[in-house]
Amino acid sequence: MILIDCPYCGEREQSEFTNGGEAHVIRPKNPEALSDKEWGQYVFYRSNPKGIFYERWNHSHGCRKWFNAVRDTSTDTILKIYKLTDNRPDISEFKSSLKSPSGEPAVGSGNFAVKK
Amino acid sequence: MPALRNKNCNYVSNKEINITFDGKSYSAYDGDTIASALLRNNIRLIGRSFKYHRPRGIYTCGIEEPNALVQILNEHNEPNTRATIKKVYEGININSQNRWPSLSFDVGSINNFLSPIFSAGFYYKTFMGPKGFWKKIYEPLIRRTAGLGKPPKNFRSKSIHQNHNVDILIVGGGLSGLIAARKLINTDNEVLIVEQDSFLGGILKNSNKVKKIDGKSVFDWVKETEKLILESKNIKILKNTLVTTYNFTNHLIALEDKFAGKDIDTNKAELILHKIRTTQTILANGHIERFISFRNNDLPGVMLASSFEKYIERYGVVPDEKPVIFTNNSSTISLVKSLINLNCKPGAYIDSRKKKDIEDETKDYLSKNNIPFYPESEVEGCEGNKKVEKVYIRSSNKEISSINASMLCSSGGFNPDIHLFTQSKGLVKWDDKIISFKPDTAFQNTITLGSVSGNYEFKNLCNEINKKLSFLKVNDLNLDIELNIRNDFSISELWETKINKTSKWAKSFIDLHNDVTTKDLKQAINEGYDRIEHLKRYTTNSMGTDQGKISSINSLGIVSKILKKKISEVGTTTYRPPYAPLSFAAIAGRSTYEYYDPERKTPIHNWHTKNNAVFEDVGQWKRPWYYKKYETETMHQAVQRESKQTRDTAGILDGSTLGKIEIKGNDALEFMNLMYTNAFTKMKPMTSRYALMLGEDGMIMDDGIICKINDKHFIATTTSGGAPKVFSHMEEFLQTEWPHFQVYLNSITEQFTTFNISGPKTREIMSKVFNKIDFSNQSFPFMTFKIFDYKNTQVRIMRASFTGELGYEIYISPKHALELWELIFKHGKDFNLVSYGTETMHLLRAEKGYVVIGQETDGTVTPIDINFNWMIGKKKKDFIGKRSLTRSDTARKDRKQLVGIVPLDKSQFIEEGQHVVECENLPSKIKTPVEYLGHVSSSYHSPNLNHCISMAMIKNGNKLMGKKLFVSTSKGTKNIPVEVVNPVFIDPENKRLVS
Repeated sequence: MILIDCPYCGEREQSEFTNGGEAHVIRPKNPEALSDKEWGQYVFYRSNPKGIFYERWNHSHGCRKWFNAVRDTSTDTILKIYKLTDNRPDISEFKSSLKSPSGEPAVGSGNFAVKK
Repeated sequence: MPALRNKNCNYVSNKEINITFDGKSYSAYDGDTIASALLRNNIRLIGRSFKYHRPRGIYTCGIEEPNALVQILNEHNEPNTRATIKKVYEGININSQNRWPSLSFDVGSINNFLSPIFSAGFYYKTFMGPKGFWKKIYEPLIRRTAGLGKPPKNFRSKSIHQNHNVDILIVGGGLSGLIAARKLINTDNEVLIVEQDSFLGGILKNSNKVKKIDGKSVFDWVKETEKLILESKNIKILKNTLVTTYNFTNHLIALEDKFAGKDIDTNKAELILHKIRTTQTILANGHIERFISFRNNDLPGVMLASSFEKYIERYGVVPDEKPVIFTNNSSTISLVKSLINLNCKPGAYIDSRKKKDIEDETKDYLSKNNIPFYPESEVEGCEGNKKVEKVYIRSSNKEISSINASMLCSSGGFNPDIHLFTQSKGLVKWDDKIISFKPDTAFQNTITLGSVSGNYEFKNLCNEINKKLSFLKVNDLNLDIELNIRNDFSISELWETKINKTSKWAKSFIDLHNDVTTKDLKQAINEGYDRIEHLKRYTTNSMGTDQGKISSINSLGIVSKILKKKISEVGTTTYRPPYAPLSFAAIAGRSTYEYYDPERKTPIHNWHTKNNAVFEDVGQWKRPWYYKKYETETMHQAVQRESKQTRDTAGILDGSTLGKIEIKGNDALEFMNLMYTNAFTKMKPMTSRYALMLGEDGMIMDDGIICKINDKHFIATTTSGGAPKVFSHMEEFLQTEWPHFQVYLNSITEQFTTFNISGPKTREIMSKVFNKIDFSNQSFPFMTFKIFDYKNTQVRIMRASFTGELGYEIYISPKHALELWELIFKHGKDFNLVSYGTETMHLLRAEKGYVVIGQETDGTVTPIDINFNWMIGKKKKDFIGKRSLTRSDTARKDRKQLVGIVPLDKSQFIEEGQHVVECENLPSKIKTPVEYLGHVSSSYHSPNLNHCISMAMIKNGNKLMGKKLFVSTSKGTKNIPVEVVNPVFIDPENKRLVS
């Protein structure tokens, strides 16, 4: 259970929040002008990286506000939290903090508890 | 005769208490565990094993116990309690487990002689067929013979959760933990120490390895340290508390037993689940001794050497005065010294190490005390009737001799207890010196101190701790530690000994809890399970409640030998929380029974109860399902009666649970146009409209009636269960996509109580109740509403219908709701008004072909699929889900579409959920899937038409109108012939609705 620093309320337990999936996916201004493929891309496709991920959170059992977070999905560490009105932080801000638990490889998962 | 007592033990009081084991009374001392109390009474046989029902005794003296699990009868029949940690108290009533009819004579032990069929992968291989045997024969049989205790009796736990936020958490109050704590006394760090025992001290109280610290006896030193800690302003101690889980972000879970050594008081929390958040975690949770596999290494009387020592030092009981000691390392000499101090003498000392590797001190001490010494030797096995009687020794010249003994202590070395460290995602490394895994790289803010870090040298301990805690800028602490043993630790690799004597009874176990033998491991590898995670699951090795604490590394050792690999290459299985089993009651805490989920009741609830309503759960709401007119009335009878009466005269439904959302603001109109499929721009003020909400994928999400007060003010209703979802959905789009909109949302579900009244007599009833309002069709047409004052509160009456009859919805303040409800009934009596529940509501809706969201729809249904094209504002430029309706898949003409279905033989009944097919009969044996067109989504017996009416979602349904099809039944292979019809069964011209 991670702690999330709601920009409106402060640090609270994860159980108060709902994850809203990938952030910065903007609803197309003119959906009718898009092809099926382009529209499908917006509705169904989201990225799922191992590492730095920009995502949305909702403080659903608190102030009900939506906000954005940058999380390292390989370590489950929240690296930055920012309001919807703030600019998307550049990925270069976070590169140095990337570390993988138990030295596991960049792709995939499994039991890598023993140091070779 | 009771076992010898170590009078110097300070941890067990002299107070005698009475306990009951398997119906017999015994005496014990206050402070004993069940295990120490039974050993005191010379009871060695304590249970039967999981699979083979072999007799088992007490193997260890702590959390790692694989055998001695018992049932506590006076604590709600609590099963699978570890006898080695459960403290006794006056009157505790204990039963042994997994035996029938009695512990000493157990019928199930026949399994031992059937063991060839119970080998690795036995379940997977044996119970393959025939079909149906699993449920009826195999499973009940296995459940009776395999397994552990009986389920506990129903009881209500009072356990609670508690949260902690500290700077430093010290796991383990042993020597290392106490040294670290002493360094932290009166610093700025808030510290919490968690100790699983009721005393601090760890190895200091469990053994006599350490003689003195700073010139004081270890007992005095621990007492002094505890006093200093308790007097400090920054350190707290939790005793009888076990850390079970190490999560991400230094969040740990610990379980405290509030009634250790006491009878449970049912008015108080017996367990506390501590949720600890910390900046820095110090793991000082020590080590666990491992066993050695030899022939019959499970016989009662075989025990781990350090556990034997712990019984002497910690509990003051000497389980046996002449045990044989078998070791592969230097630690066991302290047990010999403990025994000699009490004028006892080990029967033999068997050390597998080479003679030159064995410490001179050990050799001298053994010869000085005339203890038979077997260097470079090993135990081949032991024998006896339900207890150790003979021990077979393979000497250095490979010859086997036997000696008589009643207990055998074995030590296969020590494993740093890396469970929590690996849970925290730390990396471990194999250490050839201690022959075990030890922590290497921490992933979180974790420090390991003492034996858990692989440091078994006491003299080096302060150094290690000073170094590792130097970043905290605390003073160094250097203690003078005087030892009874050599400071350095020496061990030779030994996992199992070769069996010479074979018989059906002879088995060398690797997992005592799950009855896995070393032979099983070899067989599994032969069958190709050479990856450790596969091997574990195939053999069930280390999958018992003890999680192989004393044996899992041994199995790696054996496997590595067979595979000719290094142990570090074999790798460990994944350590997962919890460290030891924790009770569900503790996890649930207070969230049980009525506190599990809130119950929501409408203001009319008491009236419903008085009128014999049977309730249905809709989300958290309690809604009347149907009303029993008389005691023996069935649900079917009640629903038929309510439905008929509503269509004939009038019926009323408590619709308070419907979600209500108020939408206000300058951009309310534009917002509503985007959220719903319908067009609201041309809609006149004070009118209402049935509306659909879609997901962005074009699938129906919810429906409701929208009241437009003006362009800046709307009130939307939602389905009862969908209210929170719809509200969040609206809120999400307002905040994330259209933050520039001036729109405010307000949930007003509880602010208005809602009644739906419908039926041909409704207008007359309403005119009497609200005699100032003109209910005529001209001044109050269909889908309009009026707002007026009622006793200084706002009442909204809308002409709308759930049922297809003339109907009104009344929204009133909950304050006056019940009184108005009763007033309606007072006037309604003359018109045969009936109250109806949700089941009748569904029936009436189905008769009219109105869909129920979640019944006809399932998240894969578009408005077009249910012929709701008319609800789509096609001229609108955009709304949520609009673009998806023209995607090639959603625009497909042969999707599943909503149709009505009636049986050709009007006496037949169609079941909900059955398949719609084209064949008259199903084959008696289905070899290839029968092609089906769709399923029946709703089906009722209509009292107004007097036959069954159904709705179904079937492929290309619109094209199949009038066709003859079949619907399967749950009764047999003969399908019911049906006709596909328009789903509106009653009043298709809407005459009743609008007149």
